[in-house]
Amino acid sequence: MGKDDAITELRSAVLEYDSDAAVRAAKAAIRQKIDPMIMVDEALVPAINEVGDKFEKMEIFLPDLMLAADAVKASMALILPLMAKDYQTSKATVVVATVQGDVHEIGKNIIASMLMARGFNVIDMGVDVKTTLLIDEAKKSRAKIICASALMSSTMGSQKDIIDYATALGDRKRYAILVGGGPTSREWADEIKADGWGKDANGAIKLADKFSGRR
Amino acid sequence: MVHILDVMEKALEGKPISENDYQLKLFADKVNEKVREHGIKFDRNEVIPSDNSLADDIYRAAVELLVEVGAYCTDTSRIISYSEEEIKGALRNAPKEIWLGEGKERKRLAPRKIEDKSPPWCFLGAGGGACSSDRSFTTLVEGYAEIPEINAITTPALTRVGGMRIRPASPLELLGAMRNAVYAREACNRVGRPGLPLMNSLSTAESDIALAAALHPRYGIRASDGFLICCMDPMKVDFNRLNKVTVVLSMGAPIGTCFGPLMGGYSGGPESTAVSNVAHHLMGVLTYQSSWLLPFPLHLRYVSSSSREMLWIISVTGQAISRNTDLISLNLNYTSAGPTTPMCLFETSASVTAAVVSGLSIESVGVASNKEEDRTTPVEPRISAEVAHAVAGMKRSDANGMVNELLSKYESKLASPPLGKTLFECWDPERRRPSPEYQKVIRKFKKDMAEIGLDLRPEP
Repeated sequence: MGKDDAITELRSAVLEYDSDAAVRAAKAAIRQKIDPMIMVDEALVPAINEVGDKFEKMEIFLPDLMLAADAVKASMALILPLMAKDYQTSKATVVVATVQGDVHEIGKNIIASMLMARGFNVIDMGVDVKTTLLIDEAKKSRAKIICASALMSSTMGSQKDIIDYATALGDRKRYAILVGGGPTSREWADEIKADGWGKDANGAIKLADKFSGRR
Repeated sequence: MVHILDVMEKALEGKPISENDYQLKLFADKVNEKVREHGIKFDRNEVIPSDNSLADDIYRAAVELLVEVGAYCTDTSRIISYSEEEIKGALRNAPKEIWLGEGKERKRLAPRKIEDKSPPWCFLGAGGGACSSDRSFTTLVEGYAEIPEINAITTPALTRVGGMRIRPASPLELLGAMRNAVYAREACNRVGRPGLPLMNSLSTAESDIALAAALHPRYGIRASDGFLICCMDPMKVDFNRLNKVTVVLSMGAPIGTCFGPLMGGYSGGPESTAVSNVAHHLMGVLTYQSSWLLPFPLHLRYVSSSSREMLWIISVTGQAISRNTDLISLNLNYTSAGPTTPMCLFETSASVTAAVVSGLSIESVGVASNKEEDRTTPVEPRISAEVAHAVAGMKRSDANGMVNELLSKYESKLASPPLGKTLFECWDPERRRPSPEYQKVIRKFKKDMAEIGLDLRPEP
């Protein structure tokens, strides 16, 4: 197998939502001593961008998007240790969670996968995440952005709690705190002094891009 | 017969699997496999199909899906499996009718057939949409209770108590749920209809403790109300929800399970979302011990149920359930557009028509995706009910023609719908009627409906 074939296989594995194949292709590329930056820039990034675009157009659906993101994550676990330490592999670290008291995960999963597809380092903390744990994780991982999702009108208040807690710790300026989810609005984001409101996944990505290099 | 203890035993002893593997690898793969095996196809031009074999294929695929993937308990990370015999037994034993309400409002809720001439059960209101204040809550419920066709009320959900935004499973949520019960009952009393059932009683109660707290007799909730318990997509349950089931069973009250498979989400495209929607009915009878079902499939991007694909999903789901079971099922619809816009009224007309001619009753309506506080009025559910009664008995082929005409009026605007006005901008609570501007919109809407062949009650 030539170098081009190895890159093609890695790209195809992501486009076929196949983590096992992505790991095999990444191992093959490493054995051939392909530059890890080429693996990322010529295989993984174009593939996951293509998947993200297809999802936006509803040509594919959420399971495909999530499985493609898993394939990128699995191959990156092998590729990342080989990259130069000063190489900026991602735009920024983003901590993503559904807020305390809320177990709805679909919106959060879409955001997490789309962010990953757009080159962010995503830490997905899951659902019903305690406010204090969320901020602790953001601090530990040196995240620049926190995305807090709430799907219920009764759980939106937990988004305010996240902002209040970060403020009380004196850490508010360390993070761009973005909120989103069914019942939320720009007015709500303004009221609780969030840094932004993602109307949908695209809106959240644009905001994350905007804040990626700022803090 | 599967009882709540059997569900718990299955939840504690079933096959362990991670939530991600269940929904991404097991459920998503299998639902698509079933669509392929049964050759199920969505036809953009026949949003209300007349092909009975399509409905039967979807039903068969749904039974197989439930047998092969089961439900999932997120608290034990285990699959709750059901055999085909258990499914058949649950369907045999499911109630063939339930009686809801008190006094002269006590009415029989029963399954409907495809093209059934009997009027659908009209469960009307906000579909749990958020409202900002006690005043908007009571204004809305009073307005709903005065709708002539109403059989049961679906209340909004309070978002604040004592000026504070409700926090989940906190005293604020408990107090909000208690207020929800008291205000809703009082609003019905005020318009002289104290016996109307609140079928989504306690929409403010998301947690089990809030539901239990607000059931004290002093708050006025009755066993003759309905009790909706929402399933997590896809086919998931947790102890919070099973606690609610156990509490409502102890009252001897009928449980309704609501589920909203997202087209574009774990269920995938229109065909697999339809199969998932039907499978959720069967799963709801077993896992949630339901006496009635409330599907509300939604489009992932539009968060509404009025697009071409969603209308097809509503219709084929109704036909599959109606032809193959005696289950009581009511479709809840969401619009993209908001009050005072013609689009909102056309959208709800299309969704309600798809449901009613396909053998379903209705819950209506989540307005403007139910996203914003107070962006709903009593007009939209009233129009839904008028349309629902007017289309009862209509042939599926005629309904298909009408719905295609309705789609042509709004389909291009779904991605960027007009949100219209909020409650007090277009509803006069003192005179109990819409603003002159909204009345004009309604009159024009009814003229347009008459032109496409559906005569509705003349506006005053």
